[in-house]
Amino acid sequence: MSASHHTTIIILLLSNAIKAGTILLFPTIGEIFAERVGILNLGVEGMMLIGAFFGFIVTRLTNNPYLGFIAGVLAGGIASLIHAFISITLRGNQIVSGLALTIFGAGFTTFYGQRWINMNLSASFENLKLPVLSNIPVVGSILFNQDIIVYFSYILAFVMWFILYKTMIGINLRAVGENAKAANAMGINVYRVRYIWTFFGGLMAGAGGAYLTIGYAPFWLDGITAGRGWIAIALVIFAMWDPLKAVVGAYLFGSINALQFQLQATGTTIPSAILNMLPYLVTFIAIVLTSIIVKAKHIRPPKELGIPYSREEK
Amino acid sequence: MIYFEKRENISAKLKIVIPIVSLLIGILFGALAIVVVGINPYAVYKSLFVNAFGSWYAFSETLVAATPLMLITAGLILVFKMGIWNIGAYGQYIMGAILSSYFAIFMPPEISKPLMLILMFAGGAIGGAIWAVIPAIFKVFWEVNEVITTLLLNYIALYVLKFLMYGPWKNPKSFGFPLSKPFPSSAQLPVLFEHTRINLGLAFALISIIAVWFIIKKTNFGYEVRVIGNNPTTAKYAGISVGKNIIIAMAISGALAGIAGMVQVSGIIHFLQVKINANYGYTSIIVAWISYLNPALCLLSSVLFGGLESGGYSIQISMRVSYGIVGLIESIALFSIVGAQIFLNYKLRWKK
Repeated sequence: MSASHHTTIIILLLSNAIKAGTILLFPTIGEIFAERVGILNLGVEGMMLIGAFFGFIVTRLTNNPYLGFIAGVLAGGIASLIHAFISITLRGNQIVSGLALTIFGAGFTTFYGQRWINMNLSASFENLKLPVLSNIPVVGSILFNQDIIVYFSYILAFVMWFILYKTMIGINLRAVGENAKAANAMGINVYRVRYIWTFFGGLMAGAGGAYLTIGYAPFWLDGITAGRGWIAIALVIFAMWDPLKAVVGAYLFGSINALQFQLQATGTTIPSAILNMLPYLVTFIAIVLTSIIVKAKHIRPPKELGIPYSREEK
Repeated sequence: MIYFEKRENISAKLKIVIPIVSLLIGILFGALAIVVVGINPYAVYKSLFVNAFGSWYAFSETLVAATPLMLITAGLILVFKMGIWNIGAYGQYIMGAILSSYFAIFMPPEISKPLMLILMFAGGAIGGAIWAVIPAIFKVFWEVNEVITTLLLNYIALYVLKFLMYGPWKNPKSFGFPLSKPFPSSAQLPVLFEHTRINLGLAFALISIIAVWFIIKKTNFGYEVRVIGNNPTTAKYAGISVGKNIIIAMAISGALAGIAGMVQVSGIIHFLQVKINANYGYTSIIVAWISYLNPALCLLSSVLFGGLESGGYSIQISMRVSYGIVGLIESIALFSIVGAQIFLNYKLRWKK
């Protein structure tokens, strides 16, 4: 095989890694913001399933992947409001409520997805070569010959980083997650901020799910997200609650996904169960290592993560 | 404006009403979901009920499903009481099933039934316990979040099982299906009631519930578990070894989930395969929560949810209603009960 052939394969592999990483990047950024305001939402897997499902159906019915994507995003957002209501207004246990949301998403999509199983999508996002940028050797064809959703995720990661660290909105939302009572004293409406960013988390989980069924695996299967929601939650810690670091994490795990498919496609002797285990095993190791580093560096989760806030009680 | 006012004391009446109403809300929303797809929900629920409680045989199948729920929930009650979130019963159940199956598949079938069953029981307990102690150790020594690690270990366990079933443990005579060779009769738990599948596992389940009740109420360890659950910092100052207790409780919880896996392969399926109903691991979280982490109530809820699982499985076959409906009902019931906790301590008030 020639050198250029190898380069083509590597470019294809890494370009797929970006796509696979995008599925994780959206929900990771969303969960970072939910956790930053103190709301732990373990329902990411369920919201992703709901986003994947509505993204799939609307694309299938309208043949318009962008409409499908928007439907998936909104569906994820709506699903997150159940968790928001229970954990913010009713001050319920966030861990249990989030798990319920994951079970709900799985149950809902299995129930209504029955008649769509194994059906395909013909419409998908088209790649859009960015002028100039896509001419950069290797990197250009990996990063800048992608679809609009991927470009949107680049901008989103940067914008969200900027909002979190460089704006008043960011200062306020971090205050809510660190010390809700003090934030309230500063005149911040704690409930509203928590609702907004939990909803944002849901929109993003929906986006990740919708991108999965529309842009990456254009068919419907029960439980098609296959634990990606949990990997996204792990990536939040891996990224140390920073949207830009989330990019690194998401693409790293996207690469494992892409590699796994590439190996399966080329017919490797490694059993497929072992290949499929890889992302979870690597996430497990990564989460253990990051937790040790986080502890050593005294970085910690938002202080009031998972703790309900009540305005009446002083 | 609506607001919450603190109650003088926890309403005992509500404590009984809330789980019942929560389940009804789950059933109501389930009915709505069924109507949307154009099926008569009354017919579905009637069939579900008849298939869960309508006859001795139906009820025996409900108890078969309730058995693993009781075993797993008993363990979860112990760790949840400490505020440790073991979401990994799914994987612990699988590892228990795998390790106990090892003896059934590879030991010479001539060895006596009691010895075989003791080995399998120990295998189930140890397999589950190891899978729970790993995240517990990381939690205790490096503060690694156990929700995520126990969850990831579920997926890892599933793929270990798949690896064995598609590879080294596959029965060459299974026509390519991912099944192990059938267990010898010495590796099958004895049936307790003729013409049913209720087996010795039910006795294990009842004993485990009593044991967990005893541990919590009557032992020093149980006392420490409750103190840690109330406030880990206070516990530390009181000289309680929090880390050691977490690891022990997780080991017990994992062992019980592993025994549930053993009961399923040894008492019900009689071989190892990929589908061994490991989802009981997730359902048990709901059962534990709906029982207020109370062992006696867990007995009742396990039978109820066992009925829902077993009846739900039947309607999938007889009425072609997707099994997803069970998850929908369970999750909405769980949402309701978590959301309703606030009414135990607060009253709803209206202020102009």
